[in-house]
Amino acid sequence: MSQQSVFSSSGFDFSNSVRNKFFQEKGVPLPKATSTGTTIVGCLFKDGIILGADTRATEGEIIADKNCEKIHYITESIRCCGAGTAADTEFTTASISSNMELHALSTGRKPRVVTVMTMLKQYLFQYQGHVGAALVLGGVDSTGPHLFTIHPHGSTDKLPYVTMGSGSLAAMAVFESSWKPNMERNDALALVSAAVSAGIFNDLGSGSNVDACIITATQTEMLRNFVKPNERVEKERHYTFRRGTTAWKSENIRDLIVSEDITLVGATGDAMDTS
Amino acid sequence: MEPSYRVIPSSQIKTASINDTAGSLGLHDTLRYGIRSIATETRGGEFENRIAKWEETQDNARLHMLANLYGPSAPMRLLMERQIVSASPHMPGMSQSNIHLDILMGRDETLDSTDFFLGMESGPPLSIHNDMEKKLRL
Repeated sequence: MSQQSVFSSSGFDFSNSVRNKFFQEKGVPLPKATSTGTTIVGCLFKDGIILGADTRATEGEIIADKNCEKIHYITESIRCCGAGTAADTEFTTASISSNMELHALSTGRKPRVVTVMTMLKQYLFQYQGHVGAALVLGGVDSTGPHLFTIHPHGSTDKLPYVTMGSGSLAAMAVFESSWKPNMERNDALALVSAAVSAGIFNDLGSGSNVDACIITATQTEMLRNFVKPNERVEKERHYTFRRGTTAWKSENIRDLIVSEDITLVGATGDAMDTS
Repeated sequence: MEPSYRVIPSSQIKTASINDTAGSLGLHDTLRYGIRSIATETRGGEFENRIAKWEETQDNARLHMLANLYGPSAPMRLLMERQIVSASPHMPGMSQSNIHLDILMGRDETLDSTDFFLGMESGPPLSIHNDMEKKLRL
């Protein structure tokens, strides 16, 4: 029936929705997606933006990844931290990063943070919050440094310091007490570490190490595992067995080649004909 | 679609249709799709309808605004160009890419999830005859 639609399809297949509704009524719950419980923060300082994040990914009550990366690359001087469903944040940021690269090539200008923010908010609004990605977007472009938060339903805020995720209250408490405008780089970095550490120690969904990313007009510096407050102590005893612990009785060496027959391939079997 | 300024698809009245499962006689094809049931015909909830109609609704709003600015011929011309370009000579089974249509629709410089995810599940068509029939019946 009818010609093909000129519009691209939504990319989602809903043929299982009737079955899923039936299962839910019977009491079988949907499987839990890997989520990043998370503490993600961002703050403005004298020269630019510092973003910070913890590194724990959870799957229900289990820790799925002890050292995951939550600060995603968008462009050279724009980065995005992601909280919420891990697959959604990774895929959304990767997709926007590709589109920004194409956009920059098409316009011939350095990409702007507001462009990334607009693309993200329009995408998230379209999916009505089903794409579970809560993002902290920060970067420096030709108009200066900018810091935004984007919620899963598509609303955005532009602020000098932001926190998102389950540990956001702990981190925001640190920011509210110590943030000042025009801080120096070292002070700002210490503040961001303190905020993320507050999330790590006071929230179950956040943990492991602190990642930081410093973005200025001239360069972007990614400090992976900047602070490691949760390193495992070395075990006190050694549990390896020394050589010779198990006695062996007999040895049998079998050659895998049973019989070998070499046949020369080629007309003469001599040197290559290079005439 | 009727002219309107809506940018978000309206929540439509639920309709049951056999467009997806109709055979050559226009009835539900039981042999291929199983027993007909109302549950599977009233497809999807509000959310499915929203994202399925998203692009169409926004495009309709844009065309309506064009009609108010430049007159009814402006959207008519664009729609005519799209229709000309959509008449592709390709067989409906194999993978199709219509770059001219992509340019006209403004998606030549963006990447969407459908560009790399869709099409992986559908392999070579089981019956080219049926697909051609569907296409040419228009």
